[in-house]
Amino acid sequence: MAVAAVSAGGIADHIHPEPQGFVRRYVFSLDHKIIGIQYLITAFVFFMLAGLLAEAIRTQLLNPNGGFVAADTYNEIYSIHGSTMVWLVIIPMLTGGFGNLVFPLQIGARDVAFPWLNMLSFWIFPVSGLMLFSSFLMGAPTAGWMEYPPVSLQGAAGTSMWAAAIFLVGVSSTMTGLNFLVTILKMRAPGMTFTRMPLFVWGQFATAPLLMIATTALAAALAALFINRVFGVPFFDPTKGGSPVMWQHMFWFYSHPAVYIMILPAFGIISEVLPTFARKPIFGYKLIAFSSMAIALTGFMVWAHHMFTSGLAPFLQLPFMIITFVIGVPTGIKIFSWTATLWGGKIHYNTAMLFAIGFVGLFTIGGITGIFLAAIPYDLHVHGTYFIVAHLHYVLVGGSLMGVFAGMYYWFPKMSGRVLNETLGKLHFWLFFIGFNLTFLPMHWLGIEGMPREVATYDPQFAFLNQFASYASYLMTFAILIFFVNVIWSIRNGKRSGPNPWGARTLEWQIPSPPNYYNFKHVPTVYGLPYDFSQPLPYKGLDEELTDAPPVAAGAH
Amino acid sequence: MTAASLPLDSHGNVDQLYIETRELRLQGFLLFLVSDCVLFASFIFAYLYLRNSGQGWPPPGIQRLDVAFAAWNSVVLFGSGATMHYALENFKHGNFMRYMWFLLATIVLGAGFLGGQAYEYTHLIYGEHVTWWGSGIFGASFFTLTGMHGMHVFIGVCYLTVLVLQSAAGVYTRGKFFGITAGTLYWHFVDVIWVVLFSIFYLL
Amino acid sequence: MQPVRLGRGFWTVTAILAILAVGAIVFWYEFPLEKYLPEAIVTARQVDTLFRFMAATGSALYIFVGGYLLYFSIAFRAKATDPPDAIGVQIHDNHKLEFWWTVIPALFVVLLSIVSVRIWYEIMLEPENGVVVEAIGHQFYFSFRYPQINGEVTDEMHLPRGVPVTLNLTSADVIHGFWVPAMRLKNDTVPGLVTTIRFTPRLDGRYRIICTQFCGVLHSEMDKQALVIEEKPAFDKWYKGWQQRNAHTSNALPAAGGQAVALQGGSAPAGQQMFAQKCSACHKIAPFDEKVVGPGLKGVLHDPAHPNLVNGQPATPENVAAILQNGYTGSMGTMPNATANGLSAQDIANLVAFLDSLK
Ligand code: HEA
Ligand code: HEA
Ligand code: HEC
Ligand code: CUA
Ligand SMILES: [Cu+2]
Repeated sequence: MAVAAVSAGGIADHIHPEPQGFVRRYVFSLDHKIIGIQYLITAFVFFMLAGLLAEAIRTQLLNPNGGFVAADTYNEIYSIHGSTMVWLVIIPMLTGGFGNLVFPLQIGARDVAFPWLNMLSFWIFPVSGLMLFSSFLMGAPTAGWMEYPPVSLQGAAGTSMWAAAIFLVGVSSTMTGLNFLVTILKMRAPGMTFTRMPLFVWGQFATAPLLMIATTALAAALAALFINRVFGVPFFDPTKGGSPVMWQHMFWFYSHPAVYIMILPAFGIISEVLPTFARKPIFGYKLIAFSSMAIALTGFMVWAHHMFTSGLAPFLQLPFMIITFVIGVPTGIKIFSWTATLWGGKIHYNTAMLFAIGFVGLFTIGGITGIFLAAIPYDLHVHGTYFIVAHLHYVLVGGSLMGVFAGMYYWFPKMSGRVLNETLGKLHFWLFFIGFNLTFLPMHWLGIEGMPREVATYDPQFAFLNQFASYASYLMTFAILIFFVNVIWSIRNGKRSGPNPWGARTLEWQIPSPPNYYNFKHVPTVYGLPYDFSQPLPYKGLDEELTDAPPVAAGAH
Repeated sequence: MTAASLPLDSHGNVDQLYIETRELRLQGFLLFLVSDCVLFASFIFAYLYLRNSGQGWPPPGIQRLDVAFAAWNSVVLFGSGATMHYALENFKHGNFMRYMWFLLATIVLGAGFLGGQAYEYTHLIYGEHVTWWGSGIFGASFFTLTGMHGMHVFIGVCYLTVLVLQSAAGVYTRGKFFGITAGTLYWHFVDVIWVVLFSIFYLL
Repeated sequence: MQPVRLGRGFWTVTAILAILAVGAIVFWYEFPLEKYLPEAIVTARQVDTLFRFMAATGSALYIFVGGYLLYFSIAFRAKATDPPDAIGVQIHDNHKLEFWWTVIPALFVVLLSIVSVRIWYEIMLEPENGVVVEAIGHQFYFSFRYPQINGEVTDEMHLPRGVPVTLNLTSADVIHGFWVPAMRLKNDTVPGLVTTIRFTPRLDGRYRIICTQFCGVLHSEMDKQALVIEEKPAFDKWYKGWQQRNAHTSNALPAAGGQAVALQGGSAPAGQQMFAQKCSACHKIAPFDEKVVGPGLKGVLHDPAHPNLVNGQPATPENVAAILQNGYTGSMGTMPNATANGLSAQDIANLVAFLDSLK
């Protein structure tokens, strides 16, 4: 079964001629590598915008009385900040971006299963992003990224726009998930059995069903919110029999799995970077792969841990608490395995590696505070406070975003043929690492002591820590500015990388950088795991790959 | 499948590319149906949630739905499922004309179901003043779910009409007829959803 | 596969980490949390106990994970003397190790579940028969209702020390969060829903009440009210004060618009329709005893067995209107007020006419 997809005359031998012309090649491209880069660029643009909004948040909070913007504007700002970061930055980067760019190469495929659908998924994404930002013109949503009704029913017209925009990115995500799932199931190179797949592919494989299933549930919720707001159909309106708590169920049924959408691919990135630079096989390959699947599955069973204060029946809350604790076990397996991967290595300190190790260190903090939150009695204290803000940024910035940076430093050569500047890279890492901790560590204490989240002004007793966090966040901004400078500078001036600058062993590094349009001249045969540094490479049919001219296009059209 | 029905390319060779692509498309299509299912499941969850949060069902002031009429209408829809099944079977066995007739019958039955639904809606809206937005959670869940299902039937009818035209133009051959398979799967899917909707709205 | 030998410094590092971990545990158990945030109610201490337990174990765990991570990163870096193609120890896994680092966290999860469930039960099992008080979220303040105080208390919430409290939470408009950090306890106030928390105040003081659920433009301002816990005599004085202050506001306290409700011109058919939409979730048109959430309403105005309404007032159209206007919290729970139910004065008149028509 596993090798069924490839036999003579099939897809593996079917190469379209490379399209000519700028538009077909770079704009409406069908090539997964180009689409991946398109995703990354678009998402980084949204990242700048959402990051600037974050700095507006921090600037407002410099002062207990605010004063930078009006309360209503502040509410719009953090709502769009959260929504953008989640739906337009991290999810597209990790799935559409790195997913597209890397995993088809890693499984030895020529493209994803449905290139046309892939292109469509991509183009929906910037459009919905523009829609989301255009909601500023008509009064952006103010009730946060979770938009709880009834207050979101009172929100300005932009709230409907928000729902429509998120619905559209959701459609795009669903299509991506479907596409990736079929690709991984059906288009692996001969010999690429499930137990030989690189861990990044496992990460995508665990994420794809989440994208497909959870996002569809979100689509239903958003559609219901939209028709409630626009046509007055009373799904969530308590004065007409609707139930506001139902929205919370529908929203979190998506949004908890969504946090794993935002972390499982990052886990995959880390699992590639660590063995490469430690010159060691990843420790506990099977258990890491298995735990991704376990996390994806249990991820569907814990959504109500966001709702411990919303008046659920007590006996319903208990299983949610315990299953949430249980998720710590497979996640712990990963953390321990990564740590063990470093043991006995010959570690090379490239920036990608720094970010990977930083990831393990920071994500663990966020994970542990997640366990705090899962304990109902404690959540009854800190729900809705800055403790939550601290938790979510430790896992999302210290986790997902660090994973994105690790992936950028690692795969930039594959995209561009050049290496990112190391001096700037290391500066970026250290400033970011320090700035991040100084910004978000104090927020734990703010939450415990009594500062609620989503507030434009606050009690003066919290002034010092807030100012501290704000100044630190400017340091973080500076670090990220360095990153952007680095990328722009290195595209033109970076050191040429050659096909495999890191001595990595997965398939994508065995072909030129950037890869040819058709990826592989001949689809290689795989006969082992990619992580054995003492063995020869486990691929057959690759040697001539780096020098040969393009193959003649087979297939008639 | 017999050798005769293997897909062939223009040289009369077995078309390996088509076989593999078909496998991908089939898998993709099934996954699409899975996520469509989740969409319905979410709204069904919402309906059951709302229904159980109030007192009794249907809410006071609203008549119970007319089971008899809907049952007849369901029979029409299930009948179309049967005709669709025979359409595909006949195509596979090379009975092209019988295939076309069954396909047309499916379209007619599907359209009949939509007509029945339109009648039911008119009756509810004008006869009993039940509306989507003005009748609380009853109107909200009933019209949303059955409306979504009706949309699916409508899209199906359009798709089958396209199939008729394509078949008449000779697009599908004995080896290459994924479009018909997909149409059949979709149509059965829409039937199954109706079984669920019928039970929870009319019988429960 | 090479035999696994732990590096030379490994045990030294382990010893250092163990000392640090013990230090962290001691730190969290010694840390004077209550100095920064008083433990105003009995169960606040339990929550702090849980926090100390999680913070201590969490820090200890983190010291080991982070410590080894750091130690390995430094100890196993490639040195300038290494040949460029030097590779690390080629170990793929170690089943014993993997077994233990699955089982030990799993056991820890069991332990943590037991600890959390026990503390959670203590919070849930606070006595049910305490003083019933109601807090209602409004955009953008909380109001409080007490038995035998007419209308609403709108500035502060006072509670006597040592007396168990049952606090019913509901909302007049959107979802708010009722949080008193010093109680380590919060719950959302959801329109159309009554949620209950129970606790026993144990420490006198003035504590901030904070809204923790975004509820509109002025959400940030919803942190100005206070919960005052005080001696019984002081509380009684405050309570009497409000009783007098509200004596004449009586139940005509305008929750919605202001004017007393005019009952003339109510239309029973319109009331019936309104009833189906807004009231039937909680009331049947059936005798008093057939409860859903609230009592059956068939005989509210004409049942000789129930000459008085739930609030003790005689069953007259005016008094029913007052209940519809102001809501009422009694032994069955909370009847939402007109704002929460979305009723205009005309709606109330219609509803009363409808209820009056039921014999
Ligand atoms: C992946 C997700 C993600 C990421 C990366 C971030 C990143 C950051 N977040 Fe955010 N945040 C959320 C997801 C995320 N956040 C979510 C989901 C919420 C909840 C929202 C809600 O309540 O609804 C939230 C809420 C939130 C709050 C709480 C608001 C409130 O409750 O009132 C705060 C406050 O400090 C904050 C701060 C920050 C900061 C300082 C960063 C920094 O890390 C950002 C750093 C990045 C930059 C600073 C960009 C730098 C760009 C440049 C330098 C380029 C310059 C640009 C041009 C020249 C055009 N965030
Ligand atoms: C990438 C995103 C991401 C990830 C991976 C996680 C991971 C986890 N989250 Fe988090 N979470 C968010 C993003 C994420 N979260 C966001 C955005 C919110 C706020 C939403 C909002 O309201 O705006 C949130 C809110 C949130 C809440 C709701 C709080 C509230 O609003 O009241 C809870 C409660 O249970 C929770 C728990 C957890 C847990 C248990 C994990 C676990 O998966 C963590 C597992 C990891 C570890 C435990 C660490 C490593 C393990 C070991 C070292 C092994 C040993 C440990 C044990 C056995 C315990 N999270
Ligand atoms: C959220 C549930 C809920 C809703 C909605 C609700 N009620 Fe009530 N109602 C109650 C409860 C609970 C009581 C009893 C309070 C008590 O004594 O504990 C009550 C009491 C009453 C009483 C007093 C009954 C008596 O015998 O004294 C009347 C009258 C009444 N409700 C009318 C209405 C009307 C009219 C509506 C619609 C506008 C309505 N209620 C909506 C819960 C509700
Ligand atoms: Cu009330 Cu926030
Ligand atoms: Cu969650």
